[in-house]
Amino acid sequence: MLAFLRKNQIPLSACFCLLLSFYILSASARGQLKHEPVGAVLMWVIRPLQLAAQGTANWLLGIHENYLTVSGYKSENERLRKRIQSLEVERQRLLEAEATNRKLQQLLDFRTQLPGKPVTASIIANSASSWFQGCILDKGSADGVRKDMAVVTPLGVVGKVVSVTAHSAKVILLTDANSGIDVLVQRTRSRGIVSGSLDGGTILKYMKRSEDIQPGDRLITSGLDGVFPKGLLAGTVVKANKQNQGLFQSVDVLPAVQSQRVEEVFVVAGVAETAPAKN
Amino acid sequence: MHDLAMKLFSLLFGIGILLVVLQTTLQRLLPISPIVPDLILVLCVYWGLHHPTVGAALGSFLLGYSVDIISSRLLGVNAFAMSLVFLSVYLGSRSIWLHHPIVSSIIVLFAALVKGAGLVLVWVIFLSTEGFWTGAVQYIVSEALIAALLAPFMFTLLQRGENYLGKPGATAQ
Repeated sequence: MLAFLRKNQIPLSACFCLLLSFYILSASARGQLKHEPVGAVLMWVIRPLQLAAQGTANWLLGIHENYLTVSGYKSENERLRKRIQSLEVERQRLLEAEATNRKLQQLLDFRTQLPGKPVTASIIANSASSWFQGCILDKGSADGVRKDMAVVTPLGVVGKVVSVTAHSAKVILLTDANSGIDVLVQRTRSRGIVSGSLDGGTILKYMKRSEDIQPGDRLITSGLDGVFPKGLLAGTVVKANKQNQGLFQSVDVLPAVQSQRVEEVFVVAGVAETAPAKN
Repeated sequence: MHDLAMKLFSLLFGIGILLVVLQTTLQRLLPISPIVPDLILVLCVYWGLHHPTVGAALGSFLLGYSVDIISSRLLGVNAFAMSLVFLSVYLGSRSIWLHHPIVSSIIVLFAALVKGAGLVLVWVIFLSTEGFWTGAVQYIVSEALIAALLAPFMFTLLQRGENYLGKPGATAQ
């Protein structure tokens, strides 16, 4: 027996890992994995590396964007560049300051409109898998972030917090195939669910064939799911197709927020959590 | 001998953690979004081919679990897939000679398809299947091709890393 175990220790250990991961899957699917210390330790190790790598990526992107800008305008600017260089630098600095000021003002205005006490967070990492659309925030439970809080920007809905450690939070994006946000069509007040799909698109589900849906219709959060405050833009209808068989029509949606371009977000508690308790 | 195996495990696991970080951050610099090059898969194949040990099986599991911690809504999806990849490559490497650099691409391609099949199985059991098949085929094929292209390059780098530890790249039977 011992000889058999020793001879087959590698395949047996791999099978053990398979069974263990299947057990973790089952427990996770049933929501029984509330506290798992290994994940917290791994995040504790990975988070500083992610921050450093994200900084490097941002720096490289900045260089790339600068290169594109410069090369695009090079021929046009060549004749005038020497003459107005100092003025141009000053102008760029002022424009950047103005844009930053405007962006901060927008964020501030938006923050005051949100219920409860929104937490401002930065996205420090994106999904490591093609199968899941998610990101990691640099704020966690120590900053007041909790599971099932909404992640939003002034442009609209980004996603929902699905797990939290002390100093980071994992977010499932609106475009993930397993997300689902209760929305209203702003023009007709019809209700549906906005979700991602694995083929890369975003769709509006459970919209009856009899409902009047037009391209350009705005989809806003209903607030009924208790996660997202009411009235935030989730997306815009791109195409509605009633040709399919079945009870529902097929509706393609353009998400309000392109998450790859977002750097700063607000994490906010849903209506259910922020409403005052009744006596 | 035991000390060298421990060093090798530490080296490859450390590289794996760095690859997880690369996959989560620098991937957005690449023009192939939303496809993410699966560097962890290539590392697990390398581990299964060249250094199949109990530690390697555990390491593959932990690296998959790291990806789950960061990316997956369900914990265990990638841990399951990477353990499956390791086991498949280990069993395959015992019966066929698999160590030629070009053959390594084919093995990684095969391993990526095994991983894809594992993910399809898990997804169908535990998660939503809305628009599933179109996306699944796209991701499986794209990830497999990219991983196969990266494999010879990464294998060479990993073998150089091992040589740095003072032992030429060992080969499995």
